[in-house]
Amino acid sequence: MEKLMAALKAQIIEQLNLQEVKPEEIGDDQPLFKDGLGLDSIDALELIVLLQQNYNIRIANPEQGPEIFRSVRTIAEFITAHQNKN
Amino acid sequence: MNIYIQGTGCVSPLETAAEGPFPVVVNPSYEGARLKVSDPDYKQWIDIKQIRRMSRIIKMGVAAAKLSLAEASVEMPDAIITGTAYGCLDDTGVFLTKMISQNEEMLTPTSFIQSTHNTVAGQIALMLNCHAYNNTFVHKGFSFESALLDSIMILKEGNSRHILMGAMDELTNHSFNIISRFNRFKKEPVTHTELLQSTTHGTVAGEGAACFVLGTEKSDSAMARLTGLTTSYKPGSTAEIAADIIAFLAVHEIAQEDIDLLITGRNGDVEGDTWYDHVERTLFPNQAVGCFKHLCGEYPTAASFGMWAGCKVLSSGQVPADVLFKGKAPEKIKKILIYNHYKETHHSLILLTGC
Repeated sequence: MEKLMAALKAQIIEQLNLQEVKPEEIGDDQPLFKDGLGLDSIDALELIVLLQQNYNIRIANPEQGPEIFRSVRTIAEFITAHQNKN
Repeated sequence: MNIYIQGTGCVSPLETAAEGPFPVVVNPSYEGARLKVSDPDYKQWIDIKQIRRMSRIIKMGVAAAKLSLAEASVEMPDAIITGTAYGCLDDTGVFLTKMISQNEEMLTPTSFIQSTHNTVAGQIALMLNCHAYNNTFVHKGFSFESALLDSIMILKEGNSRHILMGAMDELTNHSFNIISRFNRFKKEPVTHTELLQSTTHGTVAGEGAACFVLGTEKSDSAMARLTGLTTSYKPGSTAEIAADIIAFLAVHEIAQEDIDLLITGRNGDVEGDTWYDHVERTLFPNQAVGCFKHLCGEYPTAASFGMWAGCKVLSSGQVPADVLFKGKAPEKIKKILIYNHYKETHHSLILLTGC
């Protein structure tokens, strides 16, 4: 899980071009949107593509989005659960 | 009705984004036949959360816009009007490349959203929270002039006090390589001091953004009066453009002798420069001549840099040594005529008068 979260932080920074943010500055449970990392709805679309490209995961139900993308840990848990299912 | 240029902002291959007089040209870095913008620290104008999504042309345009608004002490313009020939080329390239490489699947939104030509004007409006008239003109070598014409017409309607207008174009590796195939650029190495004397084919590629705040009041910051503008598409001969210039000056009740400084878009291309040679020789043989494309390179909206340079000359009362091409700089500069053409097809005349 720790390894996956570290990889996710690096991928999020690259995909969203988060200049001057280092992976270690993103907390595992830090909210990604609004007051946390400050991401917005366009970033949410970028994160959906990130999951498709890097983990071959399609989010079938858009209503799951806010829960999945709440933090790096929730994304990592979603990926792990998806991989275990397959 | 008089139209005044109340503020200017420019991002170019020179250090034009810094305050102060015309930047001293040390040595513009010609990389092959290509002049790149000298990027200022954009974070001084743009929030870091917004800057991450912006490609270079958006940052250049926003910076030039903010500089011009600050110089004019205008917070909210009554219109935002831009001109660009190529638009947001870099993001367009990113999006199209991904479309091909990813088989039209899993395309990210950012580069698509920001690949349209009106992205810069839209971004400026978003940052200013400006809901006023917002328009972008995409007319190849007349993009800047079309935006300028629209600004003039809106001001003449009498309902607007300040208009933020400008032009911007960026050069990417892709666009440089593609345009190079048409033999538009020099094959041999050239420096900015040699370019204007060149006797070979082609020029140097360039890019940049220049913005202006136009208004009908002579504010404290007003540096010049925009007296006239006209365009001519594919004039038949050098004699025809010379006649156009005489007619243009006549409309504004100005004699050829009244022009203190002629600024041309001479770019070192032996064919294209014959237009300027003819005009200089036949219409303005005794006047000082300035040039600007050795400083910014050639691009479809380069006339905007020429107008920015003209404003700097009028506001300072001096012709920078790096701008002066021919003759002796006059002691007093009241009227400047800017004559530019793009690829010998899009010819434009801009008349500036000192305040």
